[in-house]
Amino acid sequence: MTRTTERPGPPTVFHERRTYRRRRVMDAARVAPLLALILWMIPLIWPQSGDGTVSSAKALIYVFVVWAGIILLTWGLSYLLAGEVDELSDSDT
Amino acid sequence: MSTLNLLVAVCVAYVLFLFFVAFAADRLAAQGRKAWLRSPLIYTLSLSIYCTAWTFYGAVGSAARNGFEYLTIYLGPTIVMVSWWWLLRKLIRIGRTQKITSIADLISSRYGKSSLLAAGVTILAVIGTTPYIALQLQSVTLSFSVFAAQSDGLAAQDQAIVAFWLSMGLALFTVLFGTRNLDAKERHDGVVMAIAVEAVVKLVALLSVGIFVVWGVSGGLTEALNRIDASEFGHWHTDRSRWAGLIFLSAAAFLCLPRTFQVLVVENDDENHLRTASWAFPLYLCLISLFVVPIAVAGLDIMPEGSNPDLFVLTVPLALGQNGLAMLSFLGGFSSATSMVIVAAIALSTMVSNHIVMPIWLHLRPSGASVSGDVRAAVLMARRISIVGVVMLGYLYFRLSSGGEALASIGLVAFCGLAQVLPAMLGGMFWRGATRLGAFAGLTAGFAIWLYTLYLPSFGVGTILPMSIVENGLFGLAWLRPDALFGITGMEQLMHALLWSMLFNVVAFVAVSLVTFPSPLERLQAAQFVNIFEHSTNARSWSGGTAQTEDLMVMAQRILGAGEAQVLFLRHARRQGARGNLPAPTPDFLEALERELGSSVGAATAHAMVGQITGGMAISVEDLMAVADETAQMLEYSARLKEQSEELSRTALELRNANQKLTRLSVQKDAFLSQISHELRTPMTSIRAFSEILRDTDQMTPDEQSRYASIIHDEAQRLTRLLDDLLDLSVVENGQVNLNLRDGTLRDALDRAVSSAAIGEDGFQLEIKRDFGKENIVLHTDLDRLSQVFINLIANARKYCDAKAPRLAIRVMQEADRVVIDFQDNGSGIAPDAVDMIFEKFARVSDQKAGGAGLGLAICRQVMTRLGGSVDYVPASRGANFRVVLPYRTALAAQ
Repeated sequence: MTRTTERPGPPTVFHERRTYRRRRVMDAARVAPLLALILWMIPLIWPQSGDGTVSSAKALIYVFVVWAGIILLTWGLSYLLAGEVDELSDSDT
Repeated sequence: MSTLNLLVAVCVAYVLFLFFVAFAADRLAAQGRKAWLRSPLIYTLSLSIYCTAWTFYGAVGSAARNGFEYLTIYLGPTIVMVSWWWLLRKLIRIGRTQKITSIADLISSRYGKSSLLAAGVTILAVIGTTPYIALQLQSVTLSFSVFAAQSDGLAAQDQAIVAFWLSMGLALFTVLFGTRNLDAKERHDGVVMAIAVEAVVKLVALLSVGIFVVWGVSGGLTEALNRIDASEFGHWHTDRSRWAGLIFLSAAAFLCLPRTFQVLVVENDDENHLRTASWAFPLYLCLISLFVVPIAVAGLDIMPEGSNPDLFVLTVPLALGQNGLAMLSFLGGFSSATSMVIVAAIALSTMVSNHIVMPIWLHLRPSGASVSGDVRAAVLMARRISIVGVVMLGYLYFRLSSGGEALASIGLVAFCGLAQVLPAMLGGMFWRGATRLGAFAGLTAGFAIWLYTLYLPSFGVGTILPMSIVENGLFGLAWLRPDALFGITGMEQLMHALLWSMLFNVVAFVAVSLVTFPSPLERLQAAQFVNIFEHSTNARSWSGGTAQTEDLMVMAQRILGAGEAQVLFLRHARRQGARGNLPAPTPDFLEALERELGSSVGAATAHAMVGQITGGMAISVEDLMAVADETAQMLEYSARLKEQSEELSRTALELRNANQKLTRLSVQKDAFLSQISHELRTPMTSIRAFSEILRDTDQMTPDEQSRYASIIHDEAQRLTRLLDDLLDLSVVENGQVNLNLRDGTLRDALDRAVSSAAIGEDGFQLEIKRDFGKENIVLHTDLDRLSQVFINLIANARKYCDAKAPRLAIRVMQEADRVVIDFQDNGSGIAPDAVDMIFEKFARVSDQKAGGAGLGLAICRQVMTRLGGSVDYVPASRGANFRVVLPYRTALAAQ
């Protein structure tokens, strides 16, 4: 049998990569609120008078587009982190 | 039927509907059918308790007055919800594992279950929430008056009546559904269900009005946006500090408001719901705020100048003749107000009864809480009274403030007050060094500054704070003016108060925490809170996901040996049908591996080692204890082994010594036998020889005969003496000797011994040194035997002392219960290896000086034993020193 001499590679690497990915998803979940905060702080640097003021409609669209983006992002992250929460929360039941 | 009457009828019907919903939900919960009652959707909707009538009506008003500022109130909570992974999850886990019942309970629990902190937070919450409840009552009465204005108007006293019956109805609802049970986790299924229904009503109402305004009035989305650009707020314009400050404030309030904390943490049934709420609640907030600006713009367009923009949501549909829509809008506002009052009353009453009423009640009762049922009833009663009290407090506040502009701004004022809890709360969750005194200092500083710079001025200048203080500062100090602390002017009042209160709060909290030392309970709770995820996971079976088979292989090789480990892993890989020679780390395999390792290093150690590598679980206390047990057992075993081996080596040493002694004795015995046979043969030979001469010689002179006969006689005497000694020893040894006890002095015995020993002195003189004064001791003993011992010792000294001028010192010492007589010569003494032999029979120190049979000292020792004393060889600085000890009973001091 040649199988016995095979390098023990693929399964472990697969596991490691999955663990690595999951860690990065957690990192993303941690920085997501920071992203939201920064994006919503951007109106602070918009000029308030003179030329180049942002029209109300555009400002409104900006705020709500960011909002929608953040909701989608959070939805995606919460979907990816489903396993994590399940694993942790069933200890209480 | 007038519009007002219809409104009242709709209100009553709606309230009855809510009662039914809550009742049905409680019934379902009681039957255990909680599945859909406790779904992520219900949880998300219940979070909308954050959006009160103040936001329902006020957002449009705020947009009409201040432009986009209203958005901040929704952006803050959105950011908090997006922070679910690192913030809310932890908060909820803490709340669930620590059985937290309110925000005051959380703070108190974290800081060593401090009742003072709990009471402080409760008071802060009551002060901050009461005006808020008044605000809800005001919004309902205002909306009533809008409808009433269409018919015959609403008098002031009628407004008061509406507010009164509304608050009574809300109190009744809250008492009915909020205090049904004393569930440990304080969950209220009926209330939560009703809140969720009201959340839907709110959203649908606002969306309907918005859609009507955008598509029905403005004529489409693009048109609506154009109208916004064309309206008076045309361009983006906000106060920058307020934009940032209000986002922070609303985020803080979302975490700290008693009612949001109640639904977010206390009523949470499953951490998984948070995962859905993390995006669904921001969506709810987004939808709620979506049409606010279009409604405001439409209101400003349609409504006459000077009309209250806070009521545009209601007045715009009414003005356009949409009575049904207006009714729906009214119900939305009504829902916002009622749900807020209900949940705030539940949260506050829990806090008031748990942290203020019950401690006082238990303190006042002399016997304490001895009967459990008693306390239960008391808690329920306290909670009911608290609910009615809180709602009535809100009503009173409403009546006293008589509505008006002052009340409208109270929302943000309350936010700012409750945000003072935030540093202590977040600090407690993420910083183990936060202490009770630190939290207390921070809360006090923040609360005091908030009270002075924002809350008291909010009643209007001159009502509570005198005009003089506002103009000249406290105590006439200009830098203590409530609107310009430290002389920094020009800041807007709310931001001014927020900045200083939070700054002093955080600085005091951190500084005092750094310098104080927490109590043991605080430190325990700190560890529990900060490391909640390590503490709250239960021991579970191995979850293979993260286990690293290669690492396991390395470890197994170290413990089992390379060959065995590879065989084991290969066998399991085959069994799993894996392609490589490493099996997947399934629970089965891990258990088998653990067993295998356990046979080498012990079960607990193996479990801990596998656990460390798989990372599936932290080592539990039980594991550590098991490891410690095994280690202790091994230590005990090895200690026992060590003890046994020490004992064995001790025994072996003794045996070796005994063997040496026996060997030496045997040598001595052989020497003695040859000696005694020589001693016996010598006289026997001369006796035989001279007796033959006497027999065979005929011519012999009488002189010769006499000489030969005396030789024979002497030799026979020598033989007799030798035999006497032997006999004497055996007699003394067998205890057959008769002691001839009589009185006499030690001096006499010594005199006799010295003179006897001097007989036969041939040539050299032994100088004997004595102290006669001390020898006057009367003895009652066998003096002859004692003298025999002395003679022996003196004779030995003479025989063996090898000094040029031999000297023997005889010293007598009288002690309490014995007399000690030392015989010390100035010779070279006895060799150390011979010391233990000299009292043995037939022992002689050296063969050359053999003058006797080697029985002397053996006889001495036997005699002294018979006399109740002892004779020993005592090592001395020089020379041989024999010590004779006589017991006191045989020694009497001389007169």
